[in-house]
Amino acid sequence: MANARRRGRRVAETPRAKPNLRLRRQLIVGGLSLAFAVLAGAVFFRQVIETDFLQNEGQRRYLRDGEIAARRGVITDRNGEPLAVSTPVETVWAEPRKLVAHLDAIAPLAAALDLDAAGLRQKIQDNAERGFMYIKRRVSFDEARAVREAIAEHGLQGVDFETEYRRFYPGAEVFGHVIGFTNIEDRGQEGLELEYDAQLEAVPGLHRVIRDGRQRIVQEVEQIRPPRPGKDLVLSLDRRLQFLAYRELMAAVKEHKAKGGTAVVLDVATGEVLAMVNQPGYNPNGDRDGGSERRRNRAVTDVMEPGSTVKPLVIAAALEKGLVSPGTRIATGPGVLRVGSNLVKDVHNYGTLDVTGVITKSSNVGSVKIAQMMDYAGLWDIYRKVGFGQPTGIGFPGETRGSLRHYSQWRPFEHATMAFGYGLSVTALQLAQAYGVLAADGIKRPVTLLKRDSNDPSMLPVATRVLSVDTARKVRAMMETVVSDKGTARRAEIPGYRVGGKTGTAKKASGSRGYGGRRYQSVFAGFVPAGNPRLVMVVMVDEPGGSSYYGGLVAAPVFQRVMEGALRLLNVPPDDPPPSMLLVHRGGAS
Amino acid sequence: MTAAVRTRRSGPRRRERALPMDYPLLVCALGLLAFGFVMVASASMSIAENCCHDPFYYIMRHGLALGLALTAGLLTYFVPLDAWERLGTLLILLGIAVLVLVLVPGIGRTVNGATRWIPLGPLNLQPSEFLKLFAVIYVSGYLVRHAESVANDLSGFIRPMILVGVAAALILMQPDFGTTAVMLATVMGLLFLGGVSILPFVFLIGVVGVGLVALVILSPYRWARVTSFLNPWEDPFNSGYQLSQALIAFGRGEWFGVGLGNGIQKQFFLPEAHTDFLASVIGEEFGLVGMLVLIAAFAFIVSRAFAIGVRAEILETRFASYVAQGIGLWLGLQAFVNIGVNVGLLPTKGLTLPFLSYGSNSLIVGCMAIALLLRIDVNVRQQESDARLKRGVKWVRA
Repeated sequence: MANARRRGRRVAETPRAKPNLRLRRQLIVGGLSLAFAVLAGAVFFRQVIETDFLQNEGQRRYLRDGEIAARRGVITDRNGEPLAVSTPVETVWAEPRKLVAHLDAIAPLAAALDLDAAGLRQKIQDNAERGFMYIKRRVSFDEARAVREAIAEHGLQGVDFETEYRRFYPGAEVFGHVIGFTNIEDRGQEGLELEYDAQLEAVPGLHRVIRDGRQRIVQEVEQIRPPRPGKDLVLSLDRRLQFLAYRELMAAVKEHKAKGGTAVVLDVATGEVLAMVNQPGYNPNGDRDGGSERRRNRAVTDVMEPGSTVKPLVIAAALEKGLVSPGTRIATGPGVLRVGSNLVKDVHNYGTLDVTGVITKSSNVGSVKIAQMMDYAGLWDIYRKVGFGQPTGIGFPGETRGSLRHYSQWRPFEHATMAFGYGLSVTALQLAQAYGVLAADGIKRPVTLLKRDSNDPSMLPVATRVLSVDTARKVRAMMETVVSDKGTARRAEIPGYRVGGKTGTAKKASGSRGYGGRRYQSVFAGFVPAGNPRLVMVVMVDEPGGSSYYGGLVAAPVFQRVMEGALRLLNVPPDDPPPSMLLVHRGGAS
Repeated sequence: MTAAVRTRRSGPRRRERALPMDYPLLVCALGLLAFGFVMVASASMSIAENCCHDPFYYIMRHGLALGLALTAGLLTYFVPLDAWERLGTLLILLGIAVLVLVLVPGIGRTVNGATRWIPLGPLNLQPSEFLKLFAVIYVSGYLVRHAESVANDLSGFIRPMILVGVAAALILMQPDFGTTAVMLATVMGLLFLGGVSILPFVFLIGVVGVGLVALVILSPYRWARVTSFLNPWEDPFNSGYQLSQALIAFGRGEWFGVGLGNGIQKQFFLPEAHTDFLASVIGEEFGLVGMLVLIAAFAFIVSRAFAIGVRAEILETRFASYVAQGIGLWLGLQAFVNIGVNVGLLPTKGLTLPFLSYGSNSLIVGCMAIALLLRIDVNVRQQESDARLKRGVKWVRA
């Protein structure tokens, strides 16, 4: 009713046309349809027409070339025991432009990584515009966990991890001098790590990845270059002998308050270095401070005057030339020999000695007299042939060749001093190599730090004959007398084995005072078992500060302990069993 | 009802009888809700992993919101239309009161500089979402009550704008420019449909338009948004960041998309990937085809709403008609603005994509709107069949 009346009134009062509701609705619906059509057009434009531009823009934001970490080669000892291994560890990096918003949380982060908080904060602020920054590389497991806790606790944004390889040296200071170490970029810096860097080096692969807004890898698009892991390196060293030698050398250096020391053990049959240790040492896993003084592999890089240890070589040369025989008598009295204006002295007046006795008692006069039977060239020749004055070819960075002046430049007194080991310098390794010639029945084999496969003849080095078998055996027999009650190195005796060797106690020359100072290098070089030697060892203790400094007292005991253990470890049968052992053996057999 | 159906079986229009409800509309809305759930899952997992150490954080909450929304829809469906018509003014007043509460310090919850929420236990109430629906109901009721003055007098046309204007001002203070614009546009469209005289209407459009433009120009951050929207590549790491990342997502999608879950832009490049920029994720993962289906789905819902409105108007149930058209207008506008923002057609503003985006209030209101449409449709069908029945009886008697 009311409706009808209202309608009636409106018609009556307003002559205006009733609004065309249908048209209005069509306008609205048409407008919405148009809007949706425009929307579809816009989507089409973005997804089909503009797609290349947009994808390119996107790729600029998330496509990155990234490295694939590759593992550096493992260094092992001859039995496969790891000496240098690369382990995946975590590296903490940050996005400074995000991290600047959390400056209050830097302190716990720095504490977790044992870093200086103020320094880290400054570093982040300095790089505030950048999207990437290392915070600490190759962190330990505990540090990584502490960082994760700090992130969770403080809601840190822009701190993340990536995998890198960290070099670990299970042999620590025992192998530190030989193995060396790598730098933060995983490149060899010293020792064998440097020498064989090309072989050990891992070439990181390269891949193109999609990173999300937080720089995390979401997807690998393509692998541009596969990672190439480094090749492994097997050393000739025997971890057990190395530990043994290190322990004993360290004990001796400590006991005699010495400045340092070095020891080398060679395998006679192959020329392989089985142990090479030095004092003082350093830990390549640690902070490596202490400078080169602690890091030098003295066995290869430092020279010494060999002193009396060269006497067997002098006699070997004379024997080889037929100038003497072991029984030839040499008059050494009165223990002093004038050469030109200089004197050669013995410790005591030994009177007349046979050639063996010259070795046993280590008579300088006797040795000089024998050397004087030869011309300069003859003496120079034997030194040259056993490898003095030339690189050993062992392949070690910083190897010294020592010095051996050509005989044409010798003066007469030099000829004499050369006969008891002064006026030339050698490394411990060169001395060991020279003794290896005597031990191997006169055959010289180049020394090596890499394992030689005895089953593969091509791996065996070119062996050269330096002395006749007969000469070598005669000299070895003489050297056995040194390690006896009559000789200078009774302390090198090993029960059950025949031991040959020679002591040396060289006065160290110092720039101003010549040989005047009381500074010595105590040396012992020897081989076991003397009948058919398996091992050669050279021990040198530098500047023993205690009361004793003779090679036979300082260096020989080290030889004794190491060789005793080594013979047992290598299962070398005794060649001089004491009666009691024979009895036990027979008893056991019956 | 039963009787009517039985009678109709012998009637001339067989096809219409088979459907007691607008099932296509229901299926389309439910489909969008389900698709939205999947896309929120896809878009939010890495964000949730980062923020809450639980990749399912947003998914669980979205699922819970979906449950709430469907319940709210079901309840709405059973509320008689008369009740809405009677309570229209009360609802908008209530809404305005809650909007005021939001702005009271200590009650409202501020996120990213906008105070839009009231925390209620595990959920947050966002009254502005409800205001859009309430405004439609209120204005529809007003149009019915004051049809005469609306059509003729300026005052009759200004009066409903007072309450709506207050609500709009309050929402603008949150600030929420997008919702304000959508609500005002919906209300004005509804007034236009309701037969307001043209001259004052044009005047009002002018006033509101100038006001909104002035707001944009006078507010530096809005102005920055407008200018950066015109060329997001000018400063792609600051003001143009969000839009440029959204556009890259569309560009990557091409025709068929990179596949569900394979999108990259949601991986911390695109902020708000699971809420306002969900369409970008859809564009990247389902391509142009997916986007066209999405737009078509919204177009379908809008067309159904208008179709229901027209049928209600024929039956002279004008309140139902206005509500249906208002809802259609609102959903269409909001979908248009949201997708338009995503593809760089409109300046960036925070509006959800109805039925899809993460956000419980938006979901609940969306479901209530669909339930209202279905309610109106059912009423219309009943009246249509009643009318036919009467006609049929008359015809038989005659």
